[in-house]
Amino acid sequence: MSSLLPTAEEDASADQVVELDPFVFSHPIRRDILHLCVVHYLDSLRQGTASTKTRSEVRGSGRKIRPQKGTGRARLGDAQSPMLRGGGVAFGPKPRDFSTKLNRKVIQMGMRVGLSARVKENALGVVGTLEWPYAKTRTLAERIEELGWQKTLFVSGLNEVPEGLRKASSNLYKIETKTAEKLNVYDLVKWPKLVLDLAAVEWFERTLGKPVVTPRAYKV
Amino acid sequence: MFPSYIRAAVARVHLFNLSPAVNSQHAQKRLGRGQGSGRGGTSGRGTKGQKSRSGNGKPKAGFEGGQTPLRKRIPKRGFFNQTGNTYAPVNLDRIQHWIDMGRLSSSPEKPITARELLLSGCIHNVHDGIKLLGNGADQLKTPIHITPARASQTAIRAVEKLGGTVFCKYYNDLALRDEVKGRTDRLQAAPTLRKDIMWYTNWHNRGYLSPTALRKMPIVEERWKTISEQLVKYKTQTFEQKK
Repeated sequence: MSSLLPTAEEDASADQVVELDPFVFSHPIRRDILHLCVVHYLDSLRQGTASTKTRSEVRGSGRKIRPQKGTGRARLGDAQSPMLRGGGVAFGPKPRDFSTKLNRKVIQMGMRVGLSARVKENALGVVGTLEWPYAKTRTLAERIEELGWQKTLFVSGLNEVPEGLRKASSNLYKIETKTAEKLNVYDLVKWPKLVLDLAAVEWFERTLGKPVVTPRAYKV
Repeated sequence: MFPSYIRAAVARVHLFNLSPAVNSQHAQKRLGRGQGSGRGGTSGRGTKGQKSRSGNGKPKAGFEGGQTPLRKRIPKRGFFNQTGNTYAPVNLDRIQHWIDMGRLSSSPEKPITARELLLSGCIHNVHDGIKLLGNGADQLKTPIHITPARASQTAIRAVEKLGGTVFCKYYNDLALRDEVKGRTDRLQAAPTLRKDIMWYTNWHNRGYLSPTALRKMPIVEERWKTISEQLVKYKTQTFEQKK
């Protein structure tokens, strides 16, 4: 399945077919793995800057507020105790790191499951190249309407997304562009449609494909 | 409930319809949040006593409630010799196994040292040096050339029977470190303690400073010859009799 982005020569491109590695693009669907990957990603985004002062950090002296005995009221030490108004917080939040560890191979499987899920829903397309030569956002918006590719993520397998497409699409909220390197499972699940270019297909097949293991030589 | 990976022909995957695998996640135990939770009030600690207190709530390790603890019931014994050495043992069967696997090899010009044994994984820690021991001497098949810090008599006999060589070299802390790191810019010091001198100038132990060893070793530093000459003098020295 290969249909080109800018040119109107749709006849030529519609006949071309791209062969995809089944291990990467036809992987059994594991929603629980996708859940793990998405939760891991969202954890990593947390800023973790909620902070409170404990009774030792609240400004104040350590003077005993009232005598231990004789007043008929509860016994109190310093004025920063969490029991009192204006005192410190007991067990309040402190800045901390919410990121978690997820096995590298689980994340790779998540990528494979995500790509396969989109292929299964017929929501993944492959294009020859993501070059956009016309320097107008409006032209791109019209072409997107024409193709019906709203809410699409364009993934380029090159080092950088082609500048023409990047600049033309930067103000459009219905589309986003990304490099294959930076793509993660959250993006795969979030964006309903994906359009890869051939370089991206090659990138995924190389990084996510079945690892070739040469058997160890044994001396018998 | 069906596990999520068997579910077929469902709506497309999106952020709002992901869920974890059934029974893969367990709800957290939250203490002190009301009677209905089953862990309110005393939060599972019971009533009073040492264990219900905040902070540690336990006595220090080894405390037996006031009874003389085991630590104190047994008498102290002996002393610890600060000048002693702990050698990392390596047996002949282990070395032969390593040679069979291809992880060790030796020649007279490149003998097996602490560095080779450590890097190949035969030894995990060199401590104060390597001692070659003779367990599994009958399994040794290849001639090996090795320079440990010490060697047992059985090991020496077994290695030399197959045509290998064993020369015991003196290593102080710095020399051992240089050997393991592969540094050759510094000199490796000669033994200074009387005990070490007597040990390493003795051919019975295959000490590298004995005259026989200096004749037989393939690589000999010039300074070892001078050192050996000087150190071996004690064998023929006489004492002046006070009149």
